Amino acid sequence: MNPLRKQRLYALIAVLIGSLLATWLVVSALSENMNLFYSPSEILKADIDENVLIRAGGMVKQGSIEKSKDSLNVRFTVTDYQNELIINYEGILPDLFDENAGVVVRGNLKTDGSFKAIEVLAKHDENYMPPEVAKLIEANG
Amino acid sequence: MIPEFGHLILIVHLVLSLLGGTLPLLVVYANYRSLEISIKKLSVTLFILITISFLSLIYSFLVDDFSVAYVAQNSNINLPVYYKFAATWGAHEGSLVLWILAMNAWLIGFIFFTHSKDKDFLATVFSISCQVIFAFSLFTLFTSNPFERILPIPPLNGADLNPSLQDFAFTVHPPLLYFGYSGLLIPFAIAVSAMLFKKDTREWASYSRPWTLLSCSFLTLGIALGSWWAYYELGWGGWWFWDPVENAAFIPWLLSVALFHSLITSQNRGVFGKWSILLSIFAFATSLLGTFLVRSGILTSVHAFALDPERGLFILAILAFFVIGSLLIYSITDFGHVEENKYELTSKEFGFLLNNLLLVVLAISILFGTIFPLIYEAFTGGKQISVGAPYFEIILFPFALALGLLQGVALYLSWGKSSSFSFLPRLLIESLSIFSLIILILFVLFDNLYLSSFATIFLASWILVGTLQITKKRNLSYWNFLRKRLAVTFAHAGMAILTIGVGVVSSYSLEKEIILSPGDSTEFSDQTINFQSIDDLLGPNYTSKSAVVSFDDGSGLSNILTEKRTYLPSGQITTEAGIQADLFKDLYVSIGDNLQSNIWSFKIQIKPFIRWIWLGALLIAIGSFLAGVKQFKRR
Repeated sequence: MNPLRKQRLYALIAVLIGSLLATWLVVSALSENMNLFYSPSEILKADIDENVLIRAGGMVKQGSIEKSKDSLNVRFTVTDYQNELIINYEGILPDLFDENAGVVVRGNLKTDGSFKAIEVLAKHDENYMPPEVAKLIEANG
Repeated sequence: MIPEFGHLILIVHLVLSLLGGTLPLLVVYANYRSLEISIKKLSVTLFILITISFLSLIYSFLVDDFSVAYVAQNSNINLPVYYKFAATWGAHEGSLVLWILAMNAWLIGFIFFTHSKDKDFLATVFSISCQVIFAFSLFTLFTSNPFERILPIPPLNGADLNPSLQDFAFTVHPPLLYFGYSGLLIPFAIAVSAMLFKKDTREWASYSRPWTLLSCSFLTLGIALGSWWAYYELGWGGWWFWDPVENAAFIPWLLSVALFHSLITSQNRGVFGKWSILLSIFAFATSLLGTFLVRSGILTSVHAFALDPERGLFILAILAFFVIGSLLIYSITDFGHVEENKYELTSKEFGFLLNNLLLVVLAISILFGTIFPLIYEAFTGGKQISVGAPYFEIILFPFALALGLLQGVALYLSWGKSSSFSFLPRLLIESLSIFSLIILILFVLFDNLYLSSFATIFLASWILVGTLQITKKRNLSYWNFLRKRLAVTFAHAGMAILTIGVGVVSSYSLEKEIILSPGDSTEFSDQTINFQSIDDLLGPNYTSKSAVVSFDDGSGLSNILTEKRTYLPSGQITTEAGIQADLFKDLYVSIGDNLQSNIWSFKIQIKPFIRWIWLGALLIAIGSFLAGVKQFKRR
């Protein structure tokens, strides 16, 4: 084979193998690490396995935050102004977590209908609202 | 008056950048020689104008002119002076002005440091850059004017700068990052002009290389500072979150690294010409795309920018115009003579080809993960998802592995064909020895071995030996080493050090959340943690609860201060983490909630080798800076 063609063939083979491997990697990594977002109303309707990691969110209901006095357990309610969802979390909450503020949590929906959060994301500054929550308020507000 | 003056100057700058974006093209393509202008003078004028405009904005901040809406939103009478100054680029509007200033600075650099006899070519590069600068100025004036007034009744006091931005690293991080992003404008303009002029690959690559290296250096520093800032300011000890905004900076970084490696090949061998052009276009495009993603608010991100869909559309329009325009030129241009130097599988060229393939495919995979939530939402009628950090980690690992293995042998390869692979056994043996040494040190320091860190540590040793060994093998004199190998040694050794840091931090980090009242202590790893005291403090613009927590590992006591601050103007609460840093491990404590009377929760962490990540990044930045500067001397 002519050396120039050979050289192009090498490059082509490298690109093909590379992109095939990358596609396979992307698809498999994505299918395992895609977290769907649910509003409290959607959670009521959806059928979600206890082991599937999901995200949920809404506004923290006024007066619903119960902090334990001797452990890091916290329980609070998020609402989309139609339905509510009780969230349990063990850990230190972000500084901007508060009543009547938007919040997104990541974790699992338990069979009793409560949510066990492994991560709580509050908004990052006073004016910022997680887009998911902003859309909820727009839709139901 | 001063804000109006700044505003006016910004408008003059807009008009002149439009002239700069059109006149030279008329001269070159329609041959209206009578319209010929001095691009040197015009570039200096543009730079002076934008600097004056930026200074007027700084002035408005320093004198607390709250009739200027942007100042009122981002400053406050009680804000310390240094932060008033830095607040100028603390939000969207001001950072855009800084961005335009950075683009102008790069353009001046290019005009004055590029020695080419082809004046028409230089004028075209200048003109294309001016078009981008014009587009950004238009965007600033029409959607994000920083000089807008609140009249007739201005507020008495401002709303304050976001407290988490009141910090040293923050004040330096954005300018460096913007310089990095905007520097990619020059390779882009050179690539488009090179197509229009059918420039010889070797020639245009030599113009482009220094600017790509310098942008890459600034991007590296900017990203590293951002990571460092997030580590201590966000209070939870992570150094990389795979947040869309971080990805938006990481993607152009990967492409700029790919680009300057490709340019080395183009300049020395005349090959990869078209590829380098495409990369220049896409490196620039992704730096704009990052801006779009961050400032349109379409992705969930911890980075808060005032969000406005109109702005998003405007940036998208700028992006579309320049990318589609340059790709059109690419598709209709007949490139003329293309050099066809032959290379074998064992050649340096093929090494660079693999390097580029890996970097670009990695960049695409990260981009895909970043925008996938948007695609998903569009196709499922509004169902929202997020892509978790594990996605990016799974993707990154095999690419980093392949890139690292390649990096270890890359410097030994020769152009065309490598004749001997006798270096391999020695490389392997020496890197295994370094690997064992590091493992031994880790075992002595932390009494523990984690298999999960072995791969990264071996990779780091492999890169390090591959980088240092070749320098020894070449038998260069001290002076020649400084001249020829210093830059690449810095950059590649930096990569090795960063890799060690990442490997050790991700395996050896420890963390625990605890509850203590003053005087209580608890055991954590080999440390005794004692909550010493908690006091009220008063800062210039905040009140704080500041706790002293001591760490005792038997050999000495370290007292670390951590604060829960309430910033007065906004009432916003921030956590100031306390960190005792040294080269081998950081002791990290951040105060949590007040559970009852004097009982507080804390998060304590031990972060081994985390400094190595930023140290490595610093070396990479120095290396690429030196490499860029070296390119000027050569001509």
